[in-house]
Amino acid sequence: MKVFVNRKEITIFTGARVIDAVRAYSAYSAKMLLKGAFTVFDRFGNMTEPDGRLTEGQILIIKKTK
Amino acid sequence: MKRILLPFFLSLSIILISAHPAISQKNKGPVEVIILHVNDMHAKIDNMAKLAYFADSLRKIHPYVYLFAAGDNFTGNPVVDMVDDKGYPMIDLMNQCGFTLSTMGNHEFDLGQEAFNRRQKQADFPFISCNIDASGAVLKQPKPFYILKAGIVKIPVLGIIQLGENGMPDSHPSRLTGVKFTDGIAKAGEYKYLKDKYGMLIALTHLGVEGDEPLAKAMPQFDLIIGGHSHTTITTPMVVNGVKIVQTGSGLKNVGMTTLTVDRKKITDIKYQLIPLASVKSTNASVQAAVDKYNDNQELNRTISRAESDFTGENALGGLMTDAVTNIHGVDISFQNTGGIRIGSIPKGDIKLKDVYRLDPFGNEVIVFKMNVAEIQSLICNAFNRNKDVDLIPSGVKYTILTDQNGLCTAVNLTDTKGNTLDPNKEYTVGVNSYIAASYKFDHRDAGASQYKTTAQTLIEYLIKVKNVAYDGVPRTGVKPEK
Repeated sequence: MKVFVNRKEITIFTGARVIDAVRAYSAYSAKMLLKGAFTVFDRFGNMTEPDGRLTEGQILIIKKTK
Repeated sequence: MKRILLPFFLSLSIILISAHPAISQKNKGPVEVIILHVNDMHAKIDNMAKLAYFADSLRKIHPYVYLFAAGDNFTGNPVVDMVDDKGYPMIDLMNQCGFTLSTMGNHEFDLGQEAFNRRQKQADFPFISCNIDASGAVLKQPKPFYILKAGIVKIPVLGIIQLGENGMPDSHPSRLTGVKFTDGIAKAGEYKYLKDKYGMLIALTHLGVEGDEPLAKAMPQFDLIIGGHSHTTITTPMVVNGVKIVQTGSGLKNVGMTTLTVDRKKITDIKYQLIPLASVKSTNASVQAAVDKYNDNQELNRTISRAESDFTGENALGGLMTDAVTNIHGVDISFQNTGGIRIGSIPKGDIKLKDVYRLDPFGNEVIVFKMNVAEIQSLICNAFNRNKDVDLIPSGVKYTILTDQNGLCTAVNLTDTKGNTLDPNKEYTVGVNSYIAASYKFDHRDAGASQYKTTAQTLIEYLIKVKNVAYDGVPRTGVKPEK
């Protein structure tokens, strides 16, 4: 399936979680996410946990944790 | 935020006491109904006693307090998942907390239909879902909706489960045998009459926010959607088409408190607050005792298999892990990255459950790709080049990497376990963990599919199935530097 991380299209396996898409996007971002230094938001601006399941076309935005 | 929560709770208590909702109801004035809700608890039980305390505290001062779960109560904690009565600790604790209702999530199927039926029977609360047809399955048919009764107020609550691209919930198809699913949004349309009949309608969904949004667009009849599945932490309710959408994250870190004001068969106001359970400083003593008992469970010390020889080093341990994947998932080939092998050895003797979680603590799932030989070689080569060293321990094949003067992989000699060359025209099923699937760069036309089972669960099933294992001492990988 295709999802978008920081506007970049990522093709990822069916059943992937947020962390999988972030890993496919950038190893550094994944490391920072798991450390809590980065946070992932959905297109509505809600925080999404790293283990949340993805749906086709989902948009994720990675930001530094405030 | 934490600092303001308890004062808020206390002030809320005062508001609730002064409101005298029962009296209001007698006078046919507005009635307040409090719905506490969690989603995607995933068997994380450590905050359960705080949740119970919080719910009990509200119940003492308010007659209409209810506790909902928006699915995925199970899977994610061995003290719940790996006991003989899989999942029972969660049901027991949910009963003790006084849960009113749960919707079906995709992980409710992880227990297997028979075991889940037993859990449903043990639960003091119903599981609901409107888009599940279990008439041809072992699964007991869940009711589509639940009528919440708060005195004379009756509020229908409709359950909906998510479906993936294959038209089924995110679970291995083998767990869904005989169960039919229909699109949740389309099916929900058949229940618009509940709004006409009761004047109100709530959805308790396991669709994820990306599913709740179109649901709200399609059905403004909903007053409120309490959601789960996407593990989204909503601090301020989303409002779509006039419908409020809430969700509380995952792992029982938070509880949502949604207060409805009901007046003349209509919900006239909805207030929502996300409450981190870390901010609740007291616990229900009996629930805490039960949590402690489950956490002290000696189940992890249970012997599940026997090692007839020492398994020492990455080749031995990685081979054990990948043999489990090929055996349990029925794939041709599997690979385990050495970085995911977290102990040095399993000594000859009993293998306990906890050994598996020490070996493989990450919770990665098994992902299966259809790949040809060239694609498999690209995976092996790229993995090697990450650190100029063998990284992937295989099952189903053996390989030798040829390297150039810089120590980089130039080619891979790939054979089956007997040394026969693989068919370059054949498509093989290849199982890897989700870390490899997401992080490693390799050629693959197939995007892959999760089997919705972790590599640790896979190894446990394998060890229980084969009863004893032995390391044959035969290396499965090799490196041949360029002369």
